[in-house]
Amino acid sequence: MSGINSSTALWYTSRATGVVALLLLTAVMLLGLLVTRQGRLPGLPRFAVSGLHRNLSLLATAFVAVHVLSAVTDGYVNIPITATVIPLTSTYERLWLGLGAVSFDLMLAAVVTSLLRGHLSRKAWRAVHLTAYVSWPVAWVHSVFSSGDLQHGPLLYLAIVCALAVIAAAIWRVSAAGRDVPRAERVSLLMSAVHSKAQRHPPGGARRGERTLSQ
Amino acid sequence: MTAVTEDTKDAATELPRLLPPPENKRAHDWPAHADRHGRLPYRERPGTLIRDIEAAGLTGRGGAAFPVHRKLQAVLDAADKRRRTPTVIANGAESEPASDKDATLLWLSPHLVLDGLQLAAEAVGADTAILYTHVSREHDVGGRLREALQARQAAGADRVPVQLAQAPARFLSGQETALVNHLSGGPAIPTFMPPRITERGLRGVPTLVQNAETLAHLALIARKGPRWFRSVGTDAEPGSMLATIRRADGRPRISEIPLGIPLKDLTGEVSPDSAVLIGGYHGTWLSGGEARALTLDNRSLARAQARVGAGIVITLPPDRCGLVETARVVRYLALESAGQCGPCLNGLPRIAAALAEIAGGRARPQAVADVERWSGLVTGRGACHHPDGTTRFVRSALRTFAAEVDRHQRGRCSATATRPFLPVPEAAAHTEQDWI
Repeated sequence: MSGINSSTALWYTSRATGVVALLLLTAVMLLGLLVTRQGRLPGLPRFAVSGLHRNLSLLATAFVAVHVLSAVTDGYVNIPITATVIPLTSTYERLWLGLGAVSFDLMLAAVVTSLLRGHLSRKAWRAVHLTAYVSWPVAWVHSVFSSGDLQHGPLLYLAIVCALAVIAAAIWRVSAAGRDVPRAERVSLLMSAVHSKAQRHPPGGARRGERTLSQ
Repeated sequence: MTAVTEDTKDAATELPRLLPPPENKRAHDWPAHADRHGRLPYRERPGTLIRDIEAAGLTGRGGAAFPVHRKLQAVLDAADKRRRTPTVIANGAESEPASDKDATLLWLSPHLVLDGLQLAAEAVGADTAILYTHVSREHDVGGRLREALQARQAAGADRVPVQLAQAPARFLSGQETALVNHLSGGPAIPTFMPPRITERGLRGVPTLVQNAETLAHLALIARKGPRWFRSVGTDAEPGSMLATIRRADGRPRISEIPLGIPLKDLTGEVSPDSAVLIGGYHGTWLSGGEARALTLDNRSLARAQARVGAGIVITLPPDRCGLVETARVVRYLALESAGQCGPCLNGLPRIAAALAEIAGGRARPQAVADVERWSGLVTGRGACHHPDGTTRFVRSALRTFAAEVDRHQRGRCSATATRPFLPVPEAAAHTEQDWI
């Protein structure tokens, strides 16, 4: 068994960042599905969910970038840099890496259009953003079939859990759409919800020129 | 009746320019208007007025202070490029409850606004003009405008037909894209930009939306020229503006003031630890000490992170609590969210609830930090600036009333009167119909 040299380090980096990227992208997907239906996470205000969605997606992009670059730099298999964005141009694992490139392209499109959102029409931004529903499954297939790592043992279970979670969230999203509150009624509904939780306190003693607050 | 003050009337600067002399009770009539201002100075060619407006340095008086000539030029260019005839809209939907200047202007000088609408229509080559107004709180502005339009028709003054339209009683209904949405038959809710309405607005044509007061200034610049306009105000921010001023009695006074006027001329004597609200409910609370050193123009106010906005200057009476007032207004602003962007829909009610808790006394210790944090999370995250303006107002309140926040945490309040001071409309929206 050889030790870790510069090539195996790149190989391991690529594999590890790939697995982390899959987990992060799954989280991004789940949060995105939650955001579209005004979902909640315990301990987090609803409007912070979209912030988390955005920040995790940028983090995932960074991991995918390292994943891609380390795979290209690693000399063990020859992957041309063009194959990371142009599908089916790699001789090594031609189909599965091609899917990776497709997913990567769609991801970049979603990131770039979101960063430029102020300059785009709502329709154009949304159309590109909806391709996440293609990007994620393609990325999942790429993850599982590109190498043997995710085809057995704990990583296989992890991949299956990711897939089930996204499928469940997608089903929830579709069913929640039917129970949508009309736009004009949302605000007053939320207002009564948050205000009913406001606390009440006993009054204290007042000084001159001050009033004691009682509720 | 809203009082029109003569405090700042000055022969040398010829203010007021927009409002008629108060002694003439029929000044709003067409004959009186024609007598005072003369015929409409049509330029006979689109575009020519734009150079004068640029030289005058007129900016939008609806709050954003955007240079008027740039908007005119953008509409004219879009019309050329896309070969579509533009529409012009006078925006008199003064949704800000603390402001009363557009309603007063439309009531007292309707013809000046209508002149401006015609001249702006000519400048961009428009064939349709709309005057969009709110239901007035005290006058039959709509009735007066219908009369005015009839008189103009009889005199043959107008070249472009003018339609009247009424805004729903919502805070956001004067926002440009909400206005276009509403005039297109939809609810008065803001839409995402782009497309900019100067390129693709009402019925897809290039659309010019200008505040009613801005158009009145434009009508006077067309007659008297840029030099005359610049004879008051500052070099960077020339001209005059209508301000709504409220002091301790709470009554709104509309005064036409030169930009750059010292704030203390508007607030009267205020103690350093009192508070002044500049720019309305999307504006900024300042301490009396800060306000005394500033003038009413954006360059000066920027030092205190404030803006002129639509010219609202309110002095909080010493017997009222700034936190209680702010909490009440923020509750209103949260209820006026259009409910379409997540951060605004979910964030503003939470911020409002936490502020109510702080104002109520003995709030959770982290309530203030929560408000600060949530304010950061919703800023810049909407289709319109409603969350941004609201959090600017909230944060300035926490800054200006910091001592009062401490007092409230101990269960005390320095205010002796509990009667509400800042005007807040009662009716909140519950159904889609409330937005149409």
